[in-house]
Amino acid sequence: MDKKNDNDTTLPLIRLKYKNGDLIIKEGDYGISIYRIIEGKVAITKASEGKDIFLADLGPGDIFGEMTFLRRTNEARNASARASEDCIVEVWHRDKLMDEYAKMPPIIKFMADQTISRLIRMNKIIIELTTREQKKREEMRKEDPLTSQRRYFRKKVDLECNYRPTKSSEKVRLSGRAIDLSLGGIGIEIPVRNAEMYSHVKGDLLRIQIVLPDRKNLEMECSIEEITRNAGTEKILVGMSVSAISPGSRKLLGFFLMP
Amino acid sequence: MEIENLLYAYLASEERYAPGEVIIQEGTMGDWIYLLMEGNAKVTKKTGTGAVLIENLKKGAVFGEMPLLENLRDSRNASVVAGDVPVRVGILDGEKMVRDYESLSPELRLLFKALAGRLRKANSKVAALVVGLNQMEKPVF
Repeated sequence: MDKKNDNDTTLPLIRLKYKNGDLIIKEGDYGISIYRIIEGKVAITKASEGKDIFLADLGPGDIFGEMTFLRRTNEARNASARASEDCIVEVWHRDKLMDEYAKMPPIIKFMADQTISRLIRMNKIIIELTTREQKKREEMRKEDPLTSQRRYFRKKVDLECNYRPTKSSEKVRLSGRAIDLSLGGIGIEIPVRNAEMYSHVKGDLLRIQIVLPDRKNLEMECSIEEITRNAGTEKILVGMSVSAISPGSRKLLGFFLMP
Repeated sequence: MEIENLLYAYLASEERYAPGEVIIQEGTMGDWIYLLMEGNAKVTKKTGTGAVLIENLKKGAVFGEMPLLENLRDSRNASVVAGDVPVRVGILDGEKMVRDYESLSPELRLLFKALAGRLRKANSKVAALVVGLNQMEKPVF
């Protein structure tokens, strides 16, 4: 531990060192210090239903432990801070800041209070969504242990792709290049003339067929999410989400996307 | 209320927006700070699969203040869109606000910067989680 006056602050400062994995602030404890990271990384977590939910990853220059001060309460710490790398932090004692805080322009105080309430609310939402995601993931793992882990994989590709609108009465068959593939969606690049033959509209369902490099045939139905035309080129980019896929094709795609 | 009088004392001008009209567009540059005086508005964030609703703003809310608190001139990191009724907003006096901000000590400024930065990160995280969940919940036959 060493004392040091930093160039951009006038407080007497104490610096502390923590090893990777050390707990700096424990949720539920009482403490009033504010910390600023000089070196290393710190993870902010909050316990929910027996699990630690990850809220933020902080690095050099970031501050933590400020909520208790800013809320001007003596409540217990509402999240934990743990070193996720060896780190050096600067400790501020809040008494030094209290006077100034009380005297600062009310409009700044109003904005700070508003930001704190927003952050508290967003953190609650993060916890709620993370919990839901974890539950969903567990369910999926039970149902389908092979592919559940691969949902997020996506691959840049360049594959010939044929498609036709599912609901169109005319028998249009069009082709383009698949450039991006994942279990949830696909991006294809089509020549502008395709749009002259059939108007591609957001929400349209397309039956898509792609021959994978191992010559296996991938078929699925997708819904158009986004259409962008790159200025100066004769290509249109169509982003789609998968709306239906057979178990066989899904398996093919899953294996194809595996890194 | 005291705070209302205070905010009104900072008003530089007013603007009106029709329901659904964009007040702040994510990705554009700007540092105006607004006070919602009438109506309601939505804060949304763009994602690969559509916009995610971050917050509903009510009368009395201040928005667009992140660049000031973070002391960062960067593009807007979320959109604000007028809600289902006509909206009246006040634009707060930027120079006055900057003067107030600059009267703060470096420590407090760092605190606010940290706080606003955390909110920005939390907003992005929520948007990412919503997208992830939507992808997982996609029907499969």
